[in-house]
Amino acid sequence: MNKILLVIQREYLTRVKKPSFWILTLVVPILLAGVYAIPIILASRPLEHANVLVVDDSGLFQGQFRSGRDITYHEAGSIDYARRQLEQTDTLDAIVYIPARETTLPRDAYLYYRTDAPSMTVQSDVNSQLQEILRNRILLDVHGLTPDDYTMLTSTHIKLRTQDIETGRDSFLQVKIALGVILAMLVFIAVFMFGSQVMRGVMEEKTSRIVEVIVCSVKPFQLMMGKVVGIGLVGLTQFALWVILSAVAVTGVQLTNADLFEQISQRGNRTEIATKGDEATSQYQTAQYEAAQYEAGEGIDNSLQDLIQGLTDINYGLIILLFIFYFVFGYLLYASLFAAAGSLVDNDTDSQQFTLPLTVPLLLAMLLLPAMINEPSGNISTWLSLIPFTSPVAMLLRIPFGVPVWQVVLSMLLLLATFPLCIWAAAKIYRSAILRYGHKTTWRDVWHLIKR
Amino acid sequence: MLQINDITKTYGSFRALDGVSLHVRRGTVFGLLGPNGAGKTTLIRIINHIIAPDSGTLLFDGHTMTDNDVMQIGYLPEERGLYKKMRVGEQAIYLARLKGLDKATAQQRLNQWFSRLDIGDWWNRPVEELSKGMQQKVQFVVTMLHNPQLLILDEPFSGFDPVNADMLKREILRLKEEGTTIIFSTHNMPSAEELCDDIALINHARVVLSGSLADIKANNPGKGLDRIFIDTVKQ
Repeated sequence: MNKILLVIQREYLTRVKKPSFWILTLVVPILLAGVYAIPIILASRPLEHANVLVVDDSGLFQGQFRSGRDITYHEAGSIDYARRQLEQTDTLDAIVYIPARETTLPRDAYLYYRTDAPSMTVQSDVNSQLQEILRNRILLDVHGLTPDDYTMLTSTHIKLRTQDIETGRDSFLQVKIALGVILAMLVFIAVFMFGSQVMRGVMEEKTSRIVEVIVCSVKPFQLMMGKVVGIGLVGLTQFALWVILSAVAVTGVQLTNADLFEQISQRGNRTEIATKGDEATSQYQTAQYEAAQYEAGEGIDNSLQDLIQGLTDINYGLIILLFIFYFVFGYLLYASLFAAAGSLVDNDTDSQQFTLPLTVPLLLAMLLLPAMINEPSGNISTWLSLIPFTSPVAMLLRIPFGVPVWQVVLSMLLLLATFPLCIWAAAKIYRSAILRYGHKTTWRDVWHLIKR
Repeated sequence: MLQINDITKTYGSFRALDGVSLHVRRGTVFGLLGPNGAGKTTLIRIINHIIAPDSGTLLFDGHTMTDNDVMQIGYLPEERGLYKKMRVGEQAIYLARLKGLDKATAQQRLNQWFSRLDIGDWWNRPVEELSKGMQQKVQFVVTMLHNPQLLILDEPFSGFDPVNADMLKREILRLKEEGTTIIFSTHNMPSAEELCDDIALINHARVVLSGSLADIKANNPGKGLDRIFIDTVKQ
């Protein structure tokens, strides 16, 4: 078998056989599924039902508190009676007390409890109802506005649609930003994660001295490229497994909790019914509540619709091809430089002086992400997506927004032209440096190694 | 077997080898002697085609040495090392395959060597769990596995306890009996005196003394190789 294939095989198999590879491969999809499932499971968990007694000495809140799915409000005439009830009845959780007014508007209200403080849900519900009821009062008494008027005033949800004037298609900016950032981050992470593995692998061979035996059998260039390619394949394997396992995990969560997902989608309707059935709810409040529900519901529907439309609007074939291109060649460019950096040093601490400058271009691209998002076709974006050291990150960020063909082609050609240069320089450094020990390498030495 | 003609190598302004010429006869043990930094390791690396000389030629079996000839060399460097996390057997097979052996042959020869040297039980253990002496044995076996015609041992006894050093000595002599040519680089004079047929003494990048051990001792009556070494280096 060709020797470079033997090296690739060893680099690949020793890493893929490590438990740490599989732990990382499994942890990411599990985390992802967790992030996806936990809020849904938590949200669907039935809360303990709370009973709250309202004592209103201000006369502004009587009969206005609306009971809901989790909380039922009852009214009591005096605080003393309510206090006795709280002490004697186990089913009562808290008292809302609004004292008599000294000014036009009440300043304080109290939520009394015994032993266990009421849950955050109860606290926030009481608080928001207090504010809302008071606001409606002021609107009606001072300005003569009904809650319906108020709803009308505040529900001016005019939607700004950013469209191409020729095709009339939406730009779906948010979806594109998210996709671009994800693509850029993935390449960034891959280059550094696997690039630094290449460097550590080179250093391992150098410090353990096995390299002297190996370079008798294979050319240093074969050893270096075998390592770079082998680890690159490990990276591709890991990404492929992440994608597949994440899809499996997310689908699994959906299937095993199918009833929960059903509940979530029906949640809105049920709250509305519960509200309607509440005796204490006066008519206009229901109207207002429904309007709010409608508004919220429609908002969600709209953004979901946008998301789906935005996602279908994207040319995935192109994106996947370009992602693989920039992933592969960006990795080859940086991994060969990391290999050279690894060959220059005897220990981890010295490696900093060579790895830091290597990380600067990509870090710069990451730092300029916000600027590029703001103006995907601006000067910064264009230049960074053409320069081969930043183009893997910058071009992938821009791709979902649409990039002129000539820029994509130029960027790809520049990267294709640069990566052999980097490998060539890295190989020259590597060949001479890999057998040098006990000699602190400077940048001047590196230059001499390349020139030689 | 190996003819080294007028080899010169410089690193920047430092001259590591200066017109070195040597002849290594087939089936003999050749002692490459000299103080630290004399240029022995540089010469060995040039023979192994790890680095190229600035000038001079190498003849292997009468022809200019090629990369294929390098495959006939077994090299045990002074600074030894293996992949620490890799298992002994897996690693030995990998290194043997890099030398051009197929997997089955490598496996079969390894079994023979490992049982002869009593290290068969270590097959599935990671190298880092082995004692230093054990690792040296494993590395020696790996060096020998492709039945090299020329064996280059750089300070092979450093790090071996007396029992294993003795075993290594017997292996070297056995290999010589079988017709292997051995270049033995050391600054341990007693072992050189014991094993070598011919020697060359390198000092400050030049060969300062060379010839058969018997002749050299005859020319320096009453002196051990130790004394001859020190006197020559001081001159």
